[in-house]
Amino acid sequence: MRATLAILMVIVGFALQAVSYFFLAAPWGIPSSPVYSNPRVPFAPALFILGVMLVFLAAVVYELLPDRQAQ
Amino acid sequence: MATRVEQLPYGIGRFSTRLYLLLAVLLVLVGWGIFAYSREFVEGLAMTGLRNIGTMGGATWGLYVSFVIYFVGVSFAGITMAALIRLFRLDHLRPLSRMAEALTVIALVLAAFTILLDLGQPLRGVINLFRYARPQSPFFGTFTLVISGYLFASLIYLYLDGRRDAALLARQPGPLRGFYRLWAAGYRDTPAERTRHERVSFWLAIAIVPLLVTAHSTLGFVFGIQSGRPGWFSTLQAPGFVVMAGVSGIGLLLVIAAVMRVVLAEREQLHEGIFRWLGTLLLLLILAYLYFMVVEVLTTTYAGHHHEVRISLSLLTGQFAWLFWGAVAALVLAVIVLLLPYLPPGLRARVPATRPRWALVFGAAALVPASLVALQGLNLLTVLSAGARSLLAWLAVALALLCFLLLLPHLSRNVVAAAATAGILVNVAAIGKRLLIVVPSQTHGTLLPYGDGTYTPTWVEVSIVIGLFALGTLLYTLFFKVFPIMEVHAAEEGAQ
Repeated sequence: MRATLAILMVIVGFALQAVSYFFLAAPWGIPSSPVYSNPRVPFAPALFILGVMLVFLAAVVYELLPDRQAQ
Repeated sequence: MATRVEQLPYGIGRFSTRLYLLLAVLLVLVGWGIFAYSREFVEGLAMTGLRNIGTMGGATWGLYVSFVIYFVGVSFAGITMAALIRLFRLDHLRPLSRMAEALTVIALVLAAFTILLDLGQPLRGVINLFRYARPQSPFFGTFTLVISGYLFASLIYLYLDGRRDAALLARQPGPLRGFYRLWAAGYRDTPAERTRHERVSFWLAIAIVPLLVTAHSTLGFVFGIQSGRPGWFSTLQAPGFVVMAGVSGIGLLLVIAAVMRVVLAEREQLHEGIFRWLGTLLLLLILAYLYFMVVEVLTTTYAGHHHEVRISLSLLTGQFAWLFWGAVAALVLAVIVLLLPYLPPGLRARVPATRPRWALVFGAAALVPASLVALQGLNLLTVLSAGARSLLAWLAVALALLCFLLLLPHLSRNVVAAAATAGILVNVAAIGKRLLIVVPSQTHGTLLPYGDGTYTPTWVEVSIVIGLFALGTLLYTLFFKVFPIMEVHAAEEGAQ
């Protein structure tokens, strides 16, 4: 359970980083206006950072999740 | 048992009169910094020496950006050391681990503050960064990935690493017991928990090392990929930033370790071997950086475009020569100091003994003319003529050199003092080099036909930077007064 949750968090974190980087923030197509420089979805950079944080937060979850015996 | 608090290890919870005095001085300096910032916030960046490039003949990045780079660089050592100790099982360096982690966190907090201070509208900057920034940009990497991702990772490392000690301290009644319990979060130091912590620390270290190399390289790319800015556009910027980050960070860590050794009287744990090992690592990094510097200067002066040559000459013989050669001198002196422990014992025995107090007297005397020159440079003192200013500057250099020469015999016999002196020297050099990276390419590096610009920081910028240093020292001092600065060992556990 502990390992599964931590690995899941790492995978979701990296996925969030990849999606926000390549699909929500990166400019696609031909530049046509100054708005082209903006991320295509507002706050996509915040999602990228959230992904980074999620990956590292997995360490806290892995270490702090109580044992089944303790429960 | 007089009081329970007195039994906590490493002086936790013990506040002497001298410490209160130090805290009061630091608070006054922080308050002065806040007052200076209030002037900048109300009046705008016109209160600083920052001006537009070209048309206003100034620099838009100055002291603040230089110190962002410095603080991010200093943070490098902390988490690198912690990660390397874990990965390569450098157990003899373990006493440094906690102080290095705390240094990283505090340096990154200061870096975040510094970049906000550089913005005319800090809140608008923060919101727009998360809304409009492009993750592909080195600016995004530096100011968000580094400061948020790297800071977050370092906080997690510090938190998890401190759980065991927090659990040990929570066994005792005291005013901070609730805080220790919260930090320990149910930790009981069972074999299973220890194994789990080892596993997590290993993987965290594996994840953090590439992150920090990326972070410091990204900071180098902010400058290195600007093709229209001579002096910045260079492939050596990224590796140079990583190496200089290591130099300044390890230097500061050595200074902190030396101070802790004296303050806590921990000669056994913070033994000379630690200082010798870190000193050797610092020596190698300085030599690597000096090599980069020589290569860069040779390439730009021998085969560079005339704009590049103009920048190089401003560093070597022009307006910034005093800062450039000052930084080089500080690095070379640090190398000399770090080589002293390698002197053959026979030769060391022949070195005459001198009293370090005379060196300190000359060092303090050097500060007087240096301060006068600095005040004149900031336009806070206008009575000195150019000749008098030059004379005072050379007097300061002569007194500082005399101080160094008198200190050498003492340093050749004291590894800890030698390492701490080298740490101070490389940090002075690092600050100088950061200024040299940021400013000359703006004032002397434009490709458009503008004349040479100037940049002089105002009292507001200088006061804010001093306030930031005071804030960092205050946070560090308070941290080691509420939490063990080194891992609690069996002896301390037994005492409890």
